[in-house]
Amino acid sequence: MEEPRVGIYVCWCGTNIAKMVDVEAVSEEIGKIPNVVVARNYKYMCSDPGQDLIINDIKENNLNRVVVAACSPRMHELTFRKALENAGLNPYLFEMANIREQVAWVHADKEVATVKAKALISAAINRVLYHEPLDTRAVDVNPATLVIGGGMAGLSAALEIADSGKKVFLVERTERLGGNLVHVDQTFPYLHSGQGILSPQVRRAVNHDNIGLFLETEIDDIFGYVGNFEARLKDKKGKEIELKMGNIIVATGLKTFDPSVIPEYNYGKLPNVITSVEFEQMLKAGNIMTREGKEPKNIALIHCVGSRHEDYHEYCSRTCCVTALKYANQIRSAIPGANIFDLYTDMRAFGKGCEEFYAQTSRSKNTLFLMFAKGDLPKVSKAPVGEDIDMLITMNEMLSGDEIEVPADLVILMVGVEAREDAKDVAHHVGVSMCGNEFFIEKHPKLDPVATTTDGVYVVGSCVGPKDIPDTVSQAKAAAARVLATIAKGAVVVELTTAVVNEDICCGCQTCIKVCPYTAVSFDEEKGVSTVNEILCKGCGTCGSACPTGAIRSRHFTDQQILSQIEGLMAMEV
Amino acid sequence: MGKRVDPNLMSKLESYGVGDWNACYHCGNCTAMCPLTEQGSLFPRKGIRTAQMGLTDKLMSSPEPWLCYYCGECSETCPRDANPGEMMMAIRRFLTSLYDWTGIAGKLYRSKAMHIIMVMVLFFGVLGAFFAFAKIPVLSDPANVELNSFAPVPIIQLVDEIMLGILSFFLITNMINMFHKVILKDKSVKIPISLYFKEVWAAIWNFFTQWRFRKCDHKFYWFRHLFLMLSYVGMFILIIFFMDWFQTDKIHPITHPQRWLGYLITIGLLLGTISFMYGRARKKLEIFKFSHHSDWIWLVLLFLIALTGILVHIFRLAGMAHLTYYMYALHLAVEVPMVVTFVAFSKWSHLAYRPLALFFANLKKSALALQESRS
Repeated sequence: MEEPRVGIYVCWCGTNIAKMVDVEAVSEEIGKIPNVVVARNYKYMCSDPGQDLIINDIKENNLNRVVVAACSPRMHELTFRKALENAGLNPYLFEMANIREQVAWVHADKEVATVKAKALISAAINRVLYHEPLDTRAVDVNPATLVIGGGMAGLSAALEIADSGKKVFLVERTERLGGNLVHVDQTFPYLHSGQGILSPQVRRAVNHDNIGLFLETEIDDIFGYVGNFEARLKDKKGKEIELKMGNIIVATGLKTFDPSVIPEYNYGKLPNVITSVEFEQMLKAGNIMTREGKEPKNIALIHCVGSRHEDYHEYCSRTCCVTALKYANQIRSAIPGANIFDLYTDMRAFGKGCEEFYAQTSRSKNTLFLMFAKGDLPKVSKAPVGEDIDMLITMNEMLSGDEIEVPADLVILMVGVEAREDAKDVAHHVGVSMCGNEFFIEKHPKLDPVATTTDGVYVVGSCVGPKDIPDTVSQAKAAAARVLATIAKGAVVVELTTAVVNEDICCGCQTCIKVCPYTAVSFDEEKGVSTVNEILCKGCGTCGSACPTGAIRSRHFTDQQILSQIEGLMAMEV
Repeated sequence: MGKRVDPNLMSKLESYGVGDWNACYHCGNCTAMCPLTEQGSLFPRKGIRTAQMGLTDKLMSSPEPWLCYYCGECSETCPRDANPGEMMMAIRRFLTSLYDWTGIAGKLYRSKAMHIIMVMVLFFGVLGAFFAFAKIPVLSDPANVELNSFAPVPIIQLVDEIMLGILSFFLITNMINMFHKVILKDKSVKIPISLYFKEVWAAIWNFFTQWRFRKCDHKFYWFRHLFLMLSYVGMFILIIFFMDWFQTDKIHPITHPQRWLGYLITIGLLLGTISFMYGRARKKLEIFKFSHHSDWIWLVLLFLIALTGILVHIFRLAGMAHLTYYMYALHLAVEVPMVVTFVAFSKWSHLAYRPLALFFANLKKSALALQESRS
């Protein structure tokens, strides 16, 4: 290793750091550490003049290592690495010491804070001595995209990409496109026809030159990495299809909850207790009838079936409340004399036009809203013999505090939604994580809601969580935009702060393969050792710490670098 | 049966008074604002919810609707303009028709035409009776109008007492019905006999003074109502118990109590009814924004009774015999419809139901407190 010449820069960050850390004293003392050639302090290191300080010092003082003591690296590590690059130095010969979020912002004693800052900087200096220059790699992107799932989300994403001239492979497990929307008669809150929304999309997808449609086909296996995926599909006849693509959009949707498990509702035992899905079929057929073929006079809608309950699912299924209001409207049009009872716990009508829809529905004089407490479910039972009604619902009504009996000829359960059983298989194929409720997890719930931690794989629509049509379409188009952006760049840049296997030391135990969360390590049968795919590896270090022989080296986080960092920390008396 | 929801009650209640039953979304502002509501006797929101769900039995067994004096503060506060004050009034009219086992009250409340027809029938009936049976006496002394020859006190008194008897029968049986529904059917509380004696005094006190009404913001409402009520009670006592003392052919000097009591009471009745009618016509105050036909017929008849009464007196003083007799006939012709339609079958009954409700509510409250302290 050449003689290290370190430049260290202590930032005031205006008064953010300076008011709690004696920055001038720190830079003076740090300057005395061996290998430190230049030690400066400056008001705003991230500014242009601040960066120029670094660039000029590198050129004039032949610096080959730089340490900046300032804010969190999440803020400005990239900024300063760029400065090094501009000065002709490899950007990885840089280290940041966080003396803002980790010192100035969390301590109240100036003396203690100053000493701690010195310790952190000393640690950073010790570490940077062992930094090595590292490269990045550019990987080509295959312009084709695989869309898994032919519902509203999959269709919207596929059409968006196909319309811009790029090829899409649309894979659908059933024999027709449309997903769950196929079952819906009218949509809320404007009561547009579900078919009216879906048919044009389906027609366009079927006839589109850029969409390769694979119906009644399932995923057998997927492997590869961003820009270079390979998928093996199998259709219902067993024929195998192999496809290559650069990006994958997962739009597998969800299914509804089966209320047979809820004893209070007697679904499956009482013939006139039906689910919302079954009711949609009645609406589509234009015929609302009891099982005995009579027109119902008293119709009850029960909210939160299987949702918001610790015994079933704790989450809210989001769309059922406004759907129930939709039913109240549709029933009112179909059977003007009917008494409608809406049994709810809370009314969630947050979408555009939904609150107005709720207000207008509640103003109607034949819908009575009855509130029950979460967990204190109404009980549906057969009415006593001799009564004119079919069933009686007993409930503790919250707004009155009374126990009441509600007459019902038809009970519609607003069933919640849940992840599909085959979600696990899909997740496994594409390398996507699932949350506790078995919905897919996005990269960041606020900043990156359609990407996943696997680059090149996007999750959209209700497979990520319950949502309505507007949000589904938005997500689908967002993912399509991301895919098109990647394709437009033509190549994907990959950082190489990744793991490397020393094949001489590797004993072939494959522990690293078992622990890798990114499926980045594979076994080379011939050599009997593990190899890391540089593109898939994220440098998390799990394999390195798991390896029993120490054969795996995490670049930019080597044992030598970290141990030296600890020594630097201990050298300062805290 | 008491728990069965009946969504049709709301539309039935629409003929008993204005109020947007659907608009109430149970924010509870009205109950929070009400100066008369208290824990254990919550209103108006609770009663409105009971009515929304159509639990008629529960409504019938609650004294709460009568604990309200309709000051209108709740309607002023309601963020939905649902009119809880008027809804409570509608519930009271509905309850009146439920306590009445004859069904006449319900018909009178639900149909303006029915009530007016009944009033007209009785009006012309009374006039007809006078025409048929009353003989206009030939004046022996021109200065002295012989009212007691035209309408002899014993006969008038007899007719009055018969009417009083019949109407009291209906009213008392209705009150017993109320007692049955509110107290006897409520098995949740046991009320020891001693409590009846303890709580009756508050009811009697409030009957005469409506003292609870003073808790409401607008004390003038209390005053105006008490003023009218006491004038009426005064007239009632004079007519029922002191008819022969009150209706004399001899004209006493103005210092005689028969004269100035009569004047005071008449002025009270006239001022009271005019004040209420003016308020209802103007519709400015919350409590006057909605008037049911029973509100108007009640006031108009009361006003006419007072007016015809004082005119009888004026014509008598002026020695205008024929006018006196005709005005007297008119006076009875407006009085009979008023008592017949209103005492047991409409608004007059609140005189009995309100203090009874207070009595019942206090009984239940004390009994519950006793039960709790013993357990």
